[in-house]
Amino acid sequence: MHFEGTADIGAPRERVWAFVTDPEKVSRCGPDVQSVAVSDATHFKVVARAGVGPIRTTFTLDVVFTELRAPEHAAVRARGQAPGSAVEMTNTFELADAGPGRTTMRWASDVTVSGMIASVGARLMQGAADKLTQQVFACIKEQLEAPAAATR
Amino acid sequence: MAVEIGGIGHSVQRKEDARFIRGRGNYVDDVKLPGMVYLDIVRSPYAHARIVKIDTSKALAIPGVLAVITGKDLVPLKLEWMPTLMGDKQMVLPTDTVMYQAQEVAAVVATERYIAADGVAAVEVEYEPLPVVVDPIKALLPDAPVIREDRAQKNNQIWHWEAGDKAGTDKAFRESDVVVKQDIYIPRIVVASIETCGMVAQFDKIDGQLTVWMTTQAPHAIRTVIALVAGHLGLAEHKIRVISPDIGGGFGGKVPVYPGYVLTIGASVLTGLPVKWIEDRSENIQADSFARDYHITAELAAKKDGTMRALRVKTVADHGAFDAAANPSKFPAGLFGIVTGSYPFEKAFVEVDGVYTNKPPGGIAYRCSFRVTEAAFAIERLVDILALELKRDPADLRLQNFIPPQAFPFMSTLGWEYDSGNYAGALKLAMDKIGYAALRREQAEKRKRGELMGIGISSFTEIVGAGPSKHFDILGLKMFGSCEIRVHPTGKATVRLGVKSQGQGHETTFGQIVAEELGLPVADIEVEEGDTDTAPYGLGTYASRSTPVAGAATAVAARKIREKGKLIAAHLLEASPDDIEWKDYKYQVKGVPAKSKTMAEVAFAAYTNHPQGVEAGLEAVDYYDPPNLTFPFGSYICVVDIDKGTGEVKVRRFFAVDDCGTIINPMIVEGQIHGGLTMGLAPALFEEINYDKDGNIQGGTFMDYLLPTAMETPSWETAKTTTPSPHHPIGAKGVGESATVGAPAAIANAVVDALAHLGVRHIDIPITPWKVQRILKEKGVAE
Repeated sequence: MHFEGTADIGAPRERVWAFVTDPEKVSRCGPDVQSVAVSDATHFKVVARAGVGPIRTTFTLDVVFTELRAPEHAAVRARGQAPGSAVEMTNTFELADAGPGRTTMRWASDVTVSGMIASVGARLMQGAADKLTQQVFACIKEQLEAPAAATR
Repeated sequence: MAVEIGGIGHSVQRKEDARFIRGRGNYVDDVKLPGMVYLDIVRSPYAHARIVKIDTSKALAIPGVLAVITGKDLVPLKLEWMPTLMGDKQMVLPTDTVMYQAQEVAAVVATERYIAADGVAAVEVEYEPLPVVVDPIKALLPDAPVIREDRAQKNNQIWHWEAGDKAGTDKAFRESDVVVKQDIYIPRIVVASIETCGMVAQFDKIDGQLTVWMTTQAPHAIRTVIALVAGHLGLAEHKIRVISPDIGGGFGGKVPVYPGYVLTIGASVLTGLPVKWIEDRSENIQADSFARDYHITAELAAKKDGTMRALRVKTVADHGAFDAAANPSKFPAGLFGIVTGSYPFEKAFVEVDGVYTNKPPGGIAYRCSFRVTEAAFAIERLVDILALELKRDPADLRLQNFIPPQAFPFMSTLGWEYDSGNYAGALKLAMDKIGYAALRREQAEKRKRGELMGIGISSFTEIVGAGPSKHFDILGLKMFGSCEIRVHPTGKATVRLGVKSQGQGHETTFGQIVAEELGLPVADIEVEEGDTDTAPYGLGTYASRSTPVAGAATAVAARKIREKGKLIAAHLLEASPDDIEWKDYKYQVKGVPAKSKTMAEVAFAAYTNHPQGVEAGLEAVDYYDPPNLTFPFGSYICVVDIDKGTGEVKVRRFFAVDDCGTIINPMIVEGQIHGGLTMGLAPALFEEINYDKDGNIQGGTFMDYLLPTAMETPSWETAKTTTPSPHHPIGAKGVGESATVGAPAAIANAVVDALAHLGVRHIDIPITPWKVQRILKEKGVAE
C-alpha cells in the first residue's frame, strides 16, 4: 500500500528535522505506542498496538533510519512482528522552507502487511492503514505547532 | 422379496443416519484418551521469507507447555521433509525458508488446547522477506525468482504433460472453417468440509505400536506412507494402525498428508503421550490443499455446418509451493484428457504445465475425478461459444455432434475408451422436462422488453473409478478395490472394504449390493470401513471410485460366497451342485422350487454341517482390478434471471438429468446430486480464493469466502436415464461427483446466454454481482 501527502507545518525546518529524526519524539505519534528503546543514533525498537477493526495485536518493530540528509531528507524503515502477522514500512520525508518559520513536509509511506491481519482484515485494511498514516503525520504537525513545543 | 431384503434399486434408509441425526457420530475430535496432550502450530505470516531466528524460550516458560518443535529438531530424525503423493517432497517444518503464508513453522505441545495456543503466540520468529511469486504465468518467466531452490531444476516449472496428436490437430485447425478460442480461468477454491482436519496419535513406547485416529479418505495409503516416512525411526507397517472414524466431509481435501499429521505422530513418539491436533477453521481454509486454479486457453475447430473437428487446450496449473495433490502417478494433470467431452473429435491436443508459486499446495480433486471438472467446464463453455459464433441453438449444436449411442464402446482421440453412453437421450429428456422450447420463446419475448433471462446447457461426460492397474497407481500402489465378506452361522454378515465413507452412505449401499447378491436382508449386514487392522488393503474413497471399484469387489466377493454356498446347498438338498440354481434369492433344485435353501440356512450349515471335501466357514475376499474406468454422464439445463440493478444472478430453475448406470439406492443418488449441484453452484457464482501481490490470502475466512446456504440455493429438479456400465459386475458407474462436474458450465452458460445479445462471450467464474454489474454498465443497460 502506498500513501503520500503534504503537510504545511508552522515551525522552522531545523526544528521539524530535529523532531522527525528523534526516535523518542517521533514515536509518540505512532499508534498506541507502549515503549521506545533507542539502540544507537539510527536504530530503535518500538512496541505498539495496531490492527483492523476488532483484530488488534501488539507489534514489536525494529526501526532504522536508512537515509539522513539534514535538514531536508530522511528515510526510515520499520519492520515488525506480531503473532501470525508481520508489517514492513518505509517512510520518507522531504522538508522545504515555506516562508519564515514555516516548513513544507512531503511524506510518503509504503506499507506491506502480511499474515492474519492482512488476510482476515483484507477488505478493511486499505482504509484502516490510510487513516492510521494520516493520523501519524497530523500528529507530527500538531506536536510541532503546539505552544509548548517551542520550549521542548 | 427384493423390497424386503433391501437389494439394489431400493431407497433403503441410510443406516448411518441413526447415529448422525442423534449427534452420536464419532469424529476424530470426539476421541479423548487418558493423559492426552495437545498440539498447535506456529504459521508463517509471510508468503516467502528466510527464517533468521526462532526463539522458543518464552513459549517454553509458559506453565503447561511441554515442548516446542522446530525444523532444526527434525533434522537429526530426517523428518524435516516428507515425500508427497505426487513424487515431490514437502516440508514438514522449514529449517531456513518458508514458501507460503500459513505454512507450518513450529509446533507447540501443551497440556491444554488453550495453553498450546498461548505457546504458539509466544514463539518469536524473525523473518527476512523474500520476493513473492503469486502469478503462475509470471512464475514461468525466465527472470522469476526460483521458489524451490532445493530442486536440481532451477525454474518454477514442476512438470509438463501432454496428450494427443499435435501435428494432426494443427492440421485439422488449418483445414476447418471456424475456430473459436477462449481464455478461461477456473479459480482456486477450498473444499470447506464441515469437519476440519485433525489427528489423535498414540505411540506405545514399550511395544512400538502406533495408533492414529485421523481425518483421512485413504487410511491404508496413509499407513504405508507413515511406514515409508518414519520406517527408519522404527515405525513398522504391521505396528501401525490407522483408524479413520466418522468423517465430516472429505471432497479430496482429506487425501493429502499434511505436516500437522506428521508433527502429531512425532510429538507422541517424543513425549510418549497421546497427542491431539485439530485444525481451526482459519487454518483449514488458509493452509490446507486447494483445488482447481487452472489457467486454460481452449480452441475448437469446426465445419461451417457445426460439425466439431478438433480441440486444442493449453493450461497453466498453479500447484503452489509443493506438488502435494494426489493424482495417479502417470497423470500429473489428472484425467484432464476427458476434455473432449461428449463429442467425437477427430483430433485433439492437450498440454498442461504444473507450476510452483508461493501458495499452499493445490491441485486436489475437489469432488471430481482428478481435473474432470476443469475439463468439463472448458469443453461445455467452448461448445456454447461455438454455438454463438455459428448463430446456432446450443442444444441443437450438441445434438448434432454427440457421440451416438451405437458408437460405444467409443475410443476417444485422446485414448480413453468410453464404456457406454446415450448423450442425446439425456439432453432430450432434460429439454422435455424443463420445457426448453417454451423457455426459448419466453426469453425472446423478455429480450424485447429489455429483461435479461438466460438458458444454459451442460452435457458433460465424466471418467471415474480409478482404476485399472495397468494405468493407475499412487506411489506405486495399484488402485484396485477390495472387499471381504464373512457370513456368520446365524445368517448375518460383516462386510469390510478398503474404501472410506465421508458421508456417501457406504454402510447402506454396499450392504444393499450384498443383500442383492446373497438374499440376506440389508439390516443383517454390517459394513465396516476405515480401520487398517480389520479392513482389506485399499486406496480409499475419492474420485467417485468407491462404487466402480469397491462396489465391484463387493459383488464379486458375494458371488464367490454364492458359489461356495451352492456346494453346501447341494449337500443339504441331496442334489448335485450342477442341479442347483440361484433363483428368487434362494438356492433351488432346478425345476423344483419347493426344494430350496436360503443363504441363512446355508450359512448355518457352513459351520455346523459342511460337506466333506469343502472347507468350513462362509467367507470371501476380492481384490478387484477394473478392466476399464466408468463414464457417467448427464445433461443439465439452467435458467437464470439477471437483476439489471444489482447484477445479481438468480437461478430460477435447474434441471439435472444424470446417468450413473445401475442405481443402488435412488434416494442416496438423489441426495448426492442435490449436494453436488450445490457444490457446483458455489464456484459458479460465489467461491474464489485470491491472493494479493504479497501472497496474502484474501478471503481466508467464511466472512469473505461465500459458501451457498439455503438462501442462495435453488430448488433442484432431477431425473435419470439408465445406461449400465457393460464391464461393471452390477453395471454401476459412480455418481458422487457428477453434479459438481456438470453444474458450473450450465450456470455460466446461462449467464452468458442472458447477455449474449449485448456481445458478451465469456465471464470467468465466480460470476459475482459485481462482475455482472460492471458488464451491464459497460453495455449501458444497468438500471
